[in-house]
Amino acid sequence: MSFLRAVRLDDKFGPFVEFQETLGFVPNLLRAQALLPRVIEAQTKLESAVRLREGAISRIQKERILLCVAADRQDKYCVAVDSRVLSSLGAPDRQIDDLLNTCCHASLSAPDLASLQFCLKLSRHAPSVSREDIEALRACGFEDESILEAVVVTALAVYRCTLSVGLGPEPDFGPQKIASRRVDPPREVTSHAFLPDSHDAVQRKGPYLAAPYLSPKTFAPFAIVQKSHGFIPNFFRSQTLRPDLLEAELEAVGRILVPEDVLTRTQKECILLAVSAANLNSYCVAMHCNLLRGLGMSAEEGDQIAVDHHESDLSEPDSALLDFAVKLGVRFSEFSGRDIVNLRTFGFSDEQILECEVVIALNNFANTLQMGLGIEPDFEPPFVLGQNKVHLPVAGNRPMEHGFVTASLTGVQDPDAGLVAQAQGGKLEAFEELVRRHSQLIYRALVAILGDPVEAQDAMQDTLLSAFKHIAGFQGRSKFSTWLVSIARNAAFQRLRGRREVESLDEGECEEDHNFRPRQVRAWQDNPEQCCSKSEIRQLVEKGISGLPPKYRVVVMLRDVEQLSTDEVARQLGLSVPAVKTRLLRARLMLREWLSPHFAASVRRSTP
Amino acid sequence: MITCEDFFVEFGDYLENQVSPEVRKELELHLSQCRACHVLYDSTCKTVKIVTESSSFELPKSVADPIIDRVMAKLRTGPG
Repeated sequence: MSFLRAVRLDDKFGPFVEFQETLGFVPNLLRAQALLPRVIEAQTKLESAVRLREGAISRIQKERILLCVAADRQDKYCVAVDSRVLSSLGAPDRQIDDLLNTCCHASLSAPDLASLQFCLKLSRHAPSVSREDIEALRACGFEDESILEAVVVTALAVYRCTLSVGLGPEPDFGPQKIASRRVDPPREVTSHAFLPDSHDAVQRKGPYLAAPYLSPKTFAPFAIVQKSHGFIPNFFRSQTLRPDLLEAELEAVGRILVPEDVLTRTQKECILLAVSAANLNSYCVAMHCNLLRGLGMSAEEGDQIAVDHHESDLSEPDSALLDFAVKLGVRFSEFSGRDIVNLRTFGFSDEQILECEVVIALNNFANTLQMGLGIEPDFEPPFVLGQNKVHLPVAGNRPMEHGFVTASLTGVQDPDAGLVAQAQGGKLEAFEELVRRHSQLIYRALVAILGDPVEAQDAMQDTLLSAFKHIAGFQGRSKFSTWLVSIARNAAFQRLRGRREVESLDEGECEEDHNFRPRQVRAWQDNPEQCCSKSEIRQLVEKGISGLPPKYRVVVMLRDVEQLSTDEVARQLGLSVPAVKTRLLRARLMLREWLSPHFAASVRRSTP
Repeated sequence: MITCEDFFVEFGDYLENQVSPEVRKELELHLSQCRACHVLYDSTCKTVKIVTESSSFELPKSVADPIIDRVMAKLRTGPG
C-alpha cells in the first residue's frame, strides 16, 4: 500500500538483490517505485556508493546521519528503517533512543557530535551553512574527504525523506518513538529575496573543499558530461575528491532526467527550476534557467517560472505540477495523499507523478550538496536568492501588471525604468532619450547580425519605429536594453530572411565547433597594439569580424566589442551559456588566426 | 598532470576567469611547461584586448543623430 498504483517486481530484480544482500531486506520505499524500474536503479546506484559501503567515514557514522535527519524531519518511515539498520550494525539501543530523542547527547565523541550537528543544520536550513561550519569540522580533525562524504550522506537522507513523504510506503518495521519537539524549523520560503548588493559575497563564498583536477580523458563520466553539456559544471568539479560518488550521481541523473518516456525533459527542468527557487538556491536556478534556454524556452519565461510560475505561460496542468513539486520539495510537512489525488485530476498518470517525485527528490539532493559544498555558480544567476526580507510585491499588486516597470527580474534596478514608464505613457521626449542612450548598442547588434555597417544604419530606423510601436507591451521581464536588442535582432533577421541567411545564425553546435584547433603557433610581439595606428587596428579588427561566419560574429560583437557579460549575450541571443562560450572561444581563435600575421614577433624583426 | 588537450578543454573558461582555484593551478603549471599552449594563451589574450579596445563599429554621432531625428520627426507627425 502506498499513494501510487501498486505493481510487483520480481525479487530477482538487480537492485532488490543488492539490498537483500547488504541490508537483509528490500525497503518498501523502493518497492513503491516499481512503476518505473529505472528510478529504483537510480536510487540503488546512489545508496550503494554513498551509504552501503565503508568510506572516509564509517557505515555506522553514515547511518547515524541518516537517522538523525529522518528524525528531525519527523519521517516515521525512514526512522523505522534506519533504526533497524543502525541496530544491525551494532549500535546499542540506548544510543538509538538518544539519537531519536535528544539527538546530540547520544554518548558520542565530540567530533561525531559536531558532524551530526553540521548535517542537521545542512538538512534543516541549507542556505545558512557557511565556510565557518566547514572550518569547525576541520578543526575537529575531519579531512575534506570525510566532510564531502558527510554532505553527500545528508543529501541522500533528504532524497529518501522526500520520497517517503511523497510515496507513503508501507512501513517495513514497527514504528519508533520520535521526540515530538522536532518540528520543521521555521523557514522563510514564501517568496524570494533579491540581494543585488551582496551578489558578490553570495557568489564567491565557495567552494569549501579541495577539488583536484580530474581530466575528461581519464575519467570517462566527465567526457560524457563534457559532450552533453558542452562543459563540466562546478557541481561535479567540486566533488572530484571522490570519483566513485560522482560516477554514481551521474548514473542516477542519467536514469532520472534523460529518458523522455514519461515526463518531458522540459517538464523536468521546470520542476527543478521551481523547487530550486523555492529552496532559495541561486546556483541551481541559474543552471536550470540555462538548461531550459537550451531546450528552447526564452530567458524571460524561465525567470518568470523561478519567481512565480503562476504568472508564466505554462499550461494549467503544468502549473499544477509545479505547485505539487514545490509543496513536496519544500513544504513537505503539509503534503498528503490528497495532493496526488488532486494531481491526477489534471490528467497526470501515476508513472508521471512518480517521476515528478523522484525529480523533486533529486533536486533536494542536489540542493543539499550545492549548499553544503559552497559550489560556485557556472553562470551569472538571473537573480540571487537569499534570506533577507525584501520580498517581491505579491501577485496582483505587481507594478508590471499595470504596464510599468520598477524593477527588472535580473535583480538589478533597471536604470531605464523611469523613462520607460514615461515613454509608455506616450511621452516622446522620454522615448528619444532612451534611444539616444542605447543607439550604439542597437547599432552594434545590427552590424553583428547583418555584417554590413551601411545596411545596419538602414535597419536602425526600422528598429526604432518598431520599438516605439511595441513599447506599451514591454512588461519589464527583462532589462529595457535587452528588449531593445531583441527588437533590433528581429529587424535584422527580417532583412536576412530576404537573403536566406537565417539558418547560418540559428544552427546548433556542430563537431566543427568543438574540433577547431589553432594553426598559428608563432609567438606575438609584447605590445602588438603599438605597431600600428589606432585607425589601422580598428580597420583590421572590423575586417576580421566582418569576415567571420554570422553565428560567431554575433557572439564576439556582443561580448568583446559591446562588452556584455556572457550571460547577457546568451539572454540576448536566446542561446544557452555553454553555446555562447563555445562560439565565443571559436570566434576569438579565428580572430587570432586573422591577426597573427600582423602581430607575430617575427613580423617586427622583418620590418625595421 | 594535464595534457594540451585538457588545457584546450578548459581554455575558454580560463580566459573568462571562470575556473576553480584547483583547475587554475593545474592550467598555470601546464602553461609554464608547454610553449605551444603558452603562445596560444598569450596571443589569444592579446587578441581579446585588441578587439575590446579597438572601438570597432562605432556609430559616429554625425550618423546616429540624423537617423534618430528622422525617426522622431516621423513619430511626432503621427501615423499617416
